[in-house]
Amino acid sequence: MEDNKDGKLMEETPVVIDVQNVKKKFRIYADGSTSLKERILFRNRRRYEDRWVLKGISFQVRQGEAIGLIGENGCGKSTTLKMLTRILYPNEGTIRMKGRVSSLIELGAGFHPDLSGRENIYTNASIFGLKRQEIDRRLEDIIEFSELEDYIDNPVRTYSSGMYTRLAFAVAINVDADILLVDEILAVGDASFQAKCFHKMQEIKAKGTTIVIVSHALDRIEQICDRTIWIEEGVIRESGLPRNVHPLYMAYMNEKNQSRAEREQRRKEGRKAAENETRRDNKERTGQKREGSGEARVEKVSIQGVDGTEKNSFSPMEPFVIHIDYTAQKKINNAVVGIAVYRSDQTYIYGTNTLIDTSAPVALEEKGQIDLKMDSLPVNNGVYSIDLALHRPDGFNYDFWKEVCRISIADKVQTAGIISVSHRWEIH
Amino acid sequence: MDTLKEIWAYRTMIHALVHKDLRGRYQASVLGFLWTFIVPLCQLLVYTVVFSVIMKSNIEKFYLYLFVALIPWNFFSSCLTAGSGCLLQQKTLVNKIYFPREVIPISFVTSSFVNMLYCEIVVIAVCIFSGIRFSLPGLLSLPLVMAVEYMLALGITMIMSAIDVYFRDMEHILGILSMAWMFLTPIMYDLSRIPKRLLPVFQLNPMTSIVTAYRDILYWGREPQLETLGAAAGMGIVFLTAGFLIFGKLKRRFSEVM
Repeated sequence: MEDNKDGKLMEETPVVIDVQNVKKKFRIYADGSTSLKERILFRNRRRYEDRWVLKGISFQVRQGEAIGLIGENGCGKSTTLKMLTRILYPNEGTIRMKGRVSSLIELGAGFHPDLSGRENIYTNASIFGLKRQEIDRRLEDIIEFSELEDYIDNPVRTYSSGMYTRLAFAVAINVDADILLVDEILAVGDASFQAKCFHKMQEIKAKGTTIVIVSHALDRIEQICDRTIWIEEGVIRESGLPRNVHPLYMAYMNEKNQSRAEREQRRKEGRKAAENETRRDNKERTGQKREGSGEARVEKVSIQGVDGTEKNSFSPMEPFVIHIDYTAQKKINNAVVGIAVYRSDQTYIYGTNTLIDTSAPVALEEKGQIDLKMDSLPVNNGVYSIDLALHRPDGFNYDFWKEVCRISIADKVQTAGIISVSHRWEIH
Repeated sequence: MDTLKEIWAYRTMIHALVHKDLRGRYQASVLGFLWTFIVPLCQLLVYTVVFSVIMKSNIEKFYLYLFVALIPWNFFSSCLTAGSGCLLQQKTLVNKIYFPREVIPISFVTSSFVNMLYCEIVVIAVCIFSGIRFSLPGLLSLPLVMAVEYMLALGITMIMSAIDVYFRDMEHILGILSMAWMFLTPIMYDLSRIPKRLLPVFQLNPMTSIVTAYRDILYWGREPQLETLGAAAGMGIVFLTAGFLIFGKLKRRFSEVM
C-alpha cells in the first residue's frame, strides 16, 4: 500500500469507489414553469423531455489512486462527480464508496462577509462535515496555509478577492478525507499560491488519499493523476494513463474545433474546394502521434552537439541543442513553442515552453528555425523521448508531435534513481 | 435512524449556521446585537399605545396579554413563511456540497427559536415589571411548552421547505395561510369568545394550546392545562415524524429541480 505505483501491490489495494453501470437522466420541461395553474390545467399534457446525461458508465478507483475526469462541457463529468458527492443520485446503477468523502466543489461555501476570517473558517469547515474539535486542531494549519495571519480577525468583506479565495482554499484543502473530490478549482490565486496548492494536493495524495479531479487543465491532471477517464456524451470513451489518453483527447478536440472553424469559414466566405483539399491532406498526414491545425508545421527536428554536429547520445552533464525547422502557412504573431521530455516508462521528466520562459509570444515566419540550447539533461542512463508543440497561448495546437525524436543519455557508470548528480566520495 | 445519526455528526454545521445567522444578522449595524431586544420592545411600545389609548380592550393589561402570545406566534409564523423558502435560499450549498439536507431547516428553525428565546427574556422582564406573579410549576413548564412549539415548527418547516423546492407557489400560499392561521388562533382574543360548538375545531389547531399555555404561564401566572399541552405535544411529534419522512422522500432530487 505504501507504493501504489507498483502494479502488483495496486491489485491488492482495496477498491474504494465502485461505479457500476450508472445512468442519469434529467427531465427538461419545455417551458420551465411549474406553477399551480399549469399543474392543474395541463395535468396530463406537460411537455417535457428526458435527457440522458450519463448512459451507463462503470469504473473503479482503488485506495490511494488519483483519477482525472475529462471531457467537453456537458459530457457528464461534473454530473458524475456530483453523484460521487451524493448531491445527485443515479437513476440506474450503483455507486459504492468507502470512507469519508470530502468534496472541493464550491469554495467559500457559507462565508458571511460581515464575520471575521476566523469565524468563517468554522462555518465553512463545518459544512464540509468537520466537528468543532477537528476544526480547532486544524485552525493553525488553515490560517498558516492561507497566509492571512494578520487579517484573520478582520471581516471577510474587507478581503481582496485573492485573500478570499486563499482562505477558502486553505479550509477546503485542510479537510482530511479518505476520498477527495475536486472540481476545477485548482486554478486559484497567484502563481505562487497555485504552486502551493498543487504541492498540497501531492502531499494529500502521498498520504494515501484517493482523489478524483474534474478539470480542463490537462497538464494538472497529468501531474497529479495516475489515470484519466475521458467521458464523451455520457459514456467512457477512453481510460488509461493520462499520458496516453490526453493526446487522443486533444486530437479529438482540435479536430472538432477545426471542423467548427471550417464550417464557419465556409458559411462566411463560401470557400472553394481547394482549401479543404489541403486540410484533408493535412489530416491524412496526421498520425496518432501527431495532430494540429497545420497552420504551422514542424518540418524537421534534430539533436546536435554544441559544435553543430548531429548526434543522439550524450552524457548527463553534456550541453546539446534541439534544432527545429518549421514552416507556417502565413506569419503567426502569437505562437508558443514547447517541449516535453519523457522517460521510456512515460514518466514526465521535464517540460518548458516559450511562454513559461519569456512570458511573451513568439512570432513564426513562413519559414524558419528554432534552437533550444540545453545546458544538460541531468538524468540517469536511458533513452528519453521528446514531444514538441507549436501552439496558440490558449492551447490550440498548430502542430503537436509526440515522440518526435529520442535522446540517449549514457554515463560512464550506472547509478540508481531518476536523476544524475555529479558527486564524489570522501572516506575518512 | 441513520439520518439522525448523520445529522448528529453534522451538529457543528448546525451550530455554525445558527451562529452565523444570529451574529451575521446585526453585525454590520451600529447597535448590533441590541436589536434583538429593541425590536420586541418597540413592538410592545406600539401595542401599549394602540390598545390603551385608541382601541381600549376590556381585558386587563391587554398589551401584555397580546405580547406574551405574539412572540411565540412570531417564531412559528416566521418558520411557516420564511422557513418554507430556507432550502431555496441556500441553493448554492445544496447544489454544491453534500451534507444531510435536514441541516438547513433545522438550522433555520433553531436560529428563529434562539431569537425567540432572547425575546422571551424581554417578555419575562416586562411581565415582572407589570406585576405578574409567576407560579413556580408554571415557569418550570415553560421550557416544555417551548420544546413542543419547536417540534411543531420544525416538522412543518421541513414539510413546507421540501415541497417548496418542487412547487414554488407554496411560499405565497403559506403567506396567506399564515395570516388566516393567526386569526384562527386566540392571540388577539380569548378562547372564551369562541362559540361552544366550534371549540373542538379550534382545539385541533396545535397553536391554540401552545399560545394558551404561554398565556397561562406568563400572563395569568398559573400552570398550563396538561391535557391541552399533551395534545399539542402529540401533534408536535406527529408533525415532526411526518416532517422527517416527507423530507427524506423529497430530498434526493432537490438539486435537480433547484
